[in-house]
Formats: sequence, structure tokens, C-alpha cells
Amino acid sequence: MTNPYAVLGVTRDASEEEIKKAYRALSRKYHPDSNINNPNAKEAEQKFKEIQVAYDQIQKGDDGGQAANGYGDFSGFGGFGGFGGFTGYGQQRQAQESINIQAVKNYISNGYFKEAMNVLNTISNQDAQWYYYSAICHAGLGNEAMAIEHSKRATMMDQNNFQYRELYRKLTTGETWYQTRGANYGRAVMPGSGLCCTIMAANLFCGNCC
Amino acid sequence: MFGYVVANSDELKVKEWKEYQAFYCGLCQSLRKRHGIKGQITLNYDCVFIAILLTGLYEPKTSESKKFCALHPTSKRTVLNNEMLDYVSDIDIMLAYHNLKDGWQDEKNVLKWLSYKTLESDYKRMNQTYSRQEKAIETYMIELNKVQDREDENLDAAANLTGKMMGELLVYKEDEWASYLRKIGFYLGKFIYLMDAYDDLEDDCKKGQYNVWKFYKEQVDFEEKCEQILTHMMAACAKEFEKLPILLDLEILRNILYSGIWNKFDNIKKHVEKPQVMEKL
Repeated sequence: MTNPYAVLGVTRDASEEEIKKAYRALSRKYHPDSNINNPNAKEAEQKFKEIQVAYDQIQKGDDGGQAANGYGDFSGFGGFGGFGGFTGYGQQRQAQESINIQAVKNYISNGYFKEAMNVLNTISNQDAQWYYYSAICHAGLGNEAMAIEHSKRATMMDQNNFQYRELYRKLTTGETWYQTRGANYGRAVMPGSGLCCTIMAANLFCGNCC
Repeated sequence: MFGYVVANSDELKVKEWKEYQAFYCGLCQSLRKRHGIKGQITLNYDCVFIAILLTGLYEPKTSESKKFCALHPTSKRTVLNNEMLDYVSDIDIMLAYHNLKDGWQDEKNVLKWLSYKTLESDYKRMNQTYSRQEKAIETYMIELNKVQDREDENLDAAANLTGKMMGELLVYKEDEWASYLRKIGFYLGKFIYLMDAYDDLEDDCKKGQYNVWKFYKEQVDFEEKCEQILTHMMAACAKEFEKLPILLDLEILRNILYSGIWNKFDNIKKHVEKPQVMEKL
């Protein structure tokens, strides 16, 4: 496979702006419209296509393994398995729910988020764990808002659970750079807004409340 | 549309502000030229953003002229024109038509019936040219009504529909940029829907109308969560935007996406937070 950076004539460590400028200059030069009278129009068109592909490759590869809708792979969450010891007397309902949760986990680890959600909806006891798995399902289904809502709720219901906090962090990880950039464009991040609270919350969790 | 996708004008340089205005006046003139005065009144800043975005991406031949207009009678305004402005003005009319038609069906408001009927001939003329976009808007209207009727508690149900529709509108043609534009539109649409619902929350609750946030508003961390969710949508939108090879008017576009789009939200928040500050004092 050809090196897309070489096609655009930039180095691998080129800045975003350099890549965009290089792309613009080359695509203008080889665009079919600018080569109508060129005897080598065919070659120019070929080159034009190569430039398109190279640019696309750089931008899409730039995702760093993250899924298209911004989330990583969720099937790996949770370290599943290892359930049991629930079948005592009078614990039938609980046993049934642990079987259900196991089913939810299995569905999630195979990427069947809708099916996992259906099982979750049969569980009446909506505890922190329930919200945690619901958040994973929503994330998998492209419901970003619900995923954030439910994972936040799980962390509120069980503040000591590292797994829940980790999911929330993962879901909201793309936001810090956005807010930093916002500050450059004059958006004051006021006290009490997301970024600050996240830091405050992090402090709380770490036990050194100010 | 909704008027949330605006620039933070305090932070634009004079040159950028003039350019932004020239696009605004350009869209206004485009609407007038293609759809008459009835088209002109549907002018909004959300569409101006789409026009700047598509112009930056495709760099079409753009002409510049100076014109007097009724809104700004004292001095001549710079007016831009290109195929993207024309495209956006057509899209804007299609949206306005559907909105008015939907409003008429909900409220039986004669004024809305009259306005949608006046746009009907323009609309029929266009829905052949833009069948993909037309289908997207029509499906959206139908599906959105279903979500409202079943009082769906899923925060993403209606927002995803808005996102999909917005994605289709941003796609000017099915080329190598279509997948980027669909994603930008998707997250922008989600943001707009949830922002609009947040804006209308109090009103909708009073009137007993559907509002997806009402199922969450009693939570202690409601405001914070709203902002977190909205920020998430814009971060995803901006991330995709940064992948496009746009150099033209880049600073205006970034100003809108990183800052201006929050104008309304930050204003509402100031009002919400003030009483708390008073208590602390």
C-alpha cells in the first residue's frame, strides 16, 4: 500500500493544517476541471483520485481505533463471568436476576446490544449495575445521550465502583479538548459547568475534597 | 430552523464579521431571487452556517456585489453568491414548508396554513431536484410525530432522527465528503434537538407538551448532565469537522462550532445559576 503522506508530499509528522493545505494545492492542480485541455488529462485524473484516497486514509486512520460514533469497543467491558452461589432458599428472584444479568453480559460481549437491552428491560430492580449495563447497550446502539445519562447515574448510585466511573470517563473523554478549544474562541467555561465539575468530582472520588 | 448555530460575534475579527454578514446577506438575496419575499422571511443563521461550511469545502466560484436592502437601508451591503448559497436557500424553503405544514396539522392555525400553501409551488418545484433530501425531511416529520405521541423517554430517540435528517441536508452530493458531512450533520442535529428541548423545557411542562428532558429534570445533577450531553454532541461534531480540508473562513466556522453555538445555552444557564449565587452570598 502506498504511503498516503508521500502522495500528499508531506511528512508523517505534518500538522493538520499542513496536510489540508497540501491536499488543497494538489487537488486544485489535478482537478479534472483544470485539466480539460491537458493532453495528459487521464493521468491527471488518476493522480486526483490518488490524492482523494490518500487524504481520506489519513483522516480516517486518525481515529486511533475508536469506533465511528466516537466510542471504543464495548464488548470488552466488565471482565465477565464468575457468577454463582446465588441459588439459596428464598432467593429465587435474585437467582433469576443474576441469570438475566449473565445473559445481558453474554449478549454485550458478542455485540448484541439490542437483545441485551431487551433482557435489561425485563429486570425490575434497576440498581447501579443495571444502569451500568444499560449505558453500555445504549453506547453500542449509538444512543450517546442515554449512555452518558445512565453511566452517570450508575456512578452516583455506587460512588465507590471503579468500573462505573471508568465507563463514564470513557464516554465523556472526547470533551476536554473541545472545551479547551472553546476557551480559545471566547467561550468562558464558568464555574459549575461540565469541565470544572468533572475535576471536582475527580477530587471527591480521590478523597481529597477541597 | 432553530437559530442556535450562530457565531460568537464578540470574538470575531472585523474582517471575519464582515465576511459572516456577507454570507448572511448572500443567503437572503438568494432566497429572494429563487423564492421571492415569502422565501426571504425564512432566513436564519443555521442555514448561513451550512452555506459557509459547504463553500469552504467545495470552494465554488463566488461572486461579490454591493446592494441596498430594506433591512439595512442606510448603507450598501456586501452580498455573496455561489451555488452553495443557492442550494442552502432551496433546502431552507423545503424545511420551512414542512415545518409550517406540520404546525398547521397540529394547531390548525390559519396563518400557518396560508404560509405553507404559499410555499407549496416552490416546494413542488424542488422536491424533484432534491429527492434524497426531501425524503429525509418527510421521514423525519413522520417519525418525530411517532416519538412525541408515544412520549418516548429515550433522550436519543428524537435527537437521532434530527441528526439523520440534518446529515442528509449537509450532504450536497454523494462524493468522497458525504460520509464526513453526514456525521457532522448527525451530531449537529442531535445537539440542536436537545438544545431546543432544553430551551423549551419550562414552556412545554406548563403546556403539558412532550419534552424529553422532563423525564430527567428532577435529578440533582440535571443541569450538569445536560451540559455534559450537549458538549459530547458538539465535541463529536467538531472532531469530524476538523477532518475536512477546509481553509476558507475556517476561523468563522470554528468560532461557531466551539463557541457561538453555546450562546443560548450559556444565557439560559446564567439565569438558572443566579439565584444560587445569591443564596451563597
